[in-house]
Amino acid sequence: MSVKETAKAVIQSINNGDTLTTVRISADSFHADTVKLAGVLLGKKLGGIYVTTSRPSSHIVDELEETKVDLSDLYFVDLVSMTVGGNTDNPRTLYVESPTMLESILLNISLLERRLKSKRRFVMFDSVNGLSIYSEPRVLREFINVLGNSMRIKEIYSMLMTVKEQTSDELASALKLLSDRVIGD
Amino acid sequence: MAKKDIAKPVALDPRGGRPRDKCVTYIEGIDRILNGGVPIGNIVLLAGTVGSGKTTLAMEFLINGAKAGETCCYISVTEPSSKMLSNLQTYGFFDESLVKEGKLNIFDLTVINDRLGVERLDGTYTAKDMEALLGAFEDIVDELGVTRLVIDSITAVCYQLPDKGSIRNFIFRLSQFLSTFGCTTMLISETVVDSNVQTYSIFGVEEAVADGVILMGNIIRQGDLLRSLQVVKMRGAKHSRARHLIELTPVGLAVVPLLKWGQDGGQAFT
Repeated sequence: MSVKETAKAVIQSINNGDTLTTVRISADSFHADTVKLAGVLLGKKLGGIYVTTSRPSSHIVDELEETKVDLSDLYFVDLVSMTVGGNTDNPRTLYVESPTMLESILLNISLLERRLKSKRRFVMFDSVNGLSIYSEPRVLREFINVLGNSMRIKEIYSMLMTVKEQTSDELASALKLLSDRVIGD
Repeated sequence: MAKKDIAKPVALDPRGGRPRDKCVTYIEGIDRILNGGVPIGNIVLLAGTVGSGKTTLAMEFLINGAKAGETCCYISVTEPSSKMLSNLQTYGFFDESLVKEGKLNIFDLTVINDRLGVERLDGTYTAKDMEALLGAFEDIVDELGVTRLVIDSITAVCYQLPDKGSIRNFIFRLSQFLSTFGCTTMLISETVVDSNVQTYSIFGVEEAVADGVILMGNIIRQGDLLRSLQVVKMRGAKHSRARHLIELTPVGLAVVPLLKWGQDGGQAFT
């Protein structure tokens, strides 16, 4: 599935009233496609929260700035920069001390959600696989379940980004059960 | 059924009775856990290990009350009030004008002791000292019209009382007049963890007299230290007994439910 097709499917999913979607992208183009997808949604005047577990948010900002899209209603929850000693002074970003502090993700999403100006909002969770490095499968499954349901209650369109080749059948099945739709199957 | 036949929902306590009036903490998540806040006039033991966030929570409880127009009071037992004021500047939710306007009052117990002439060389209060101290607390609450009080810490006060009977008597008397004045109080209790078991207090008396116990502690998850909070008891309120994670954010403390499977190395509580 090309990034254009993925973006089209995501927009259709939003228009259908879905709230939670699993988006499966191949490892070859995962980073580039995820950033492009965020750019497409921002271009459609959605405000968003980008949760990054696999790359520092500063890198994602750099890549998004190249697309010339308006980033004024985009915020980050960054689980990487503090762990690796990266830049942690972006006022549009809340930094989580350690990727094991999964509850902090929910808490920081709640805090940032209040700052979003757009009525149509999204959370991009990049990626479920990034968290699996630090958390046991049962902890991760519980977290995804809590995350998914809390996003449903908040009625924020949420995308759980997963790397196709790195997602076990067990995790894929848990994500499928939780999501309204799986894009990129 | 006609529209007029449908009974209007009645605000009831989940246990079926009429809920007590609550002192709203305005702390993200805590009021939800407490089903609206701490019942007014309750005396709550805020027990926790070192670094678990007791003072921060208590301070935010006072500051939020002061911002809502209440008169609040903090009695510092373990550190000078000047140092406490300096520390307050580091909280994003602190507003210095609350102190200037008399909404947030900070007292130093050593100064109160000096004025009462109860400072003993051996550090132990006599029965007369205890009466004088209780009288001083009562005067502060009555004269200023305090509706929220924090004593940080009750453990340090208890160390100066001769025996467990005196501790029980002191806290009981304290809770009696505070309740009469409708003053909601948090007594900070310093606890330790021994053999993976956390107690509610050093002396084992305070929790029995208090109306509520909020337990704060640390959980180790893969070497990282997470702050936790659990409401153990709260008379007059139907509350959650689940363990929660707390975090200090730029806008104050925030609370979220703790993942159940993420508690490896967690402490067991008595």
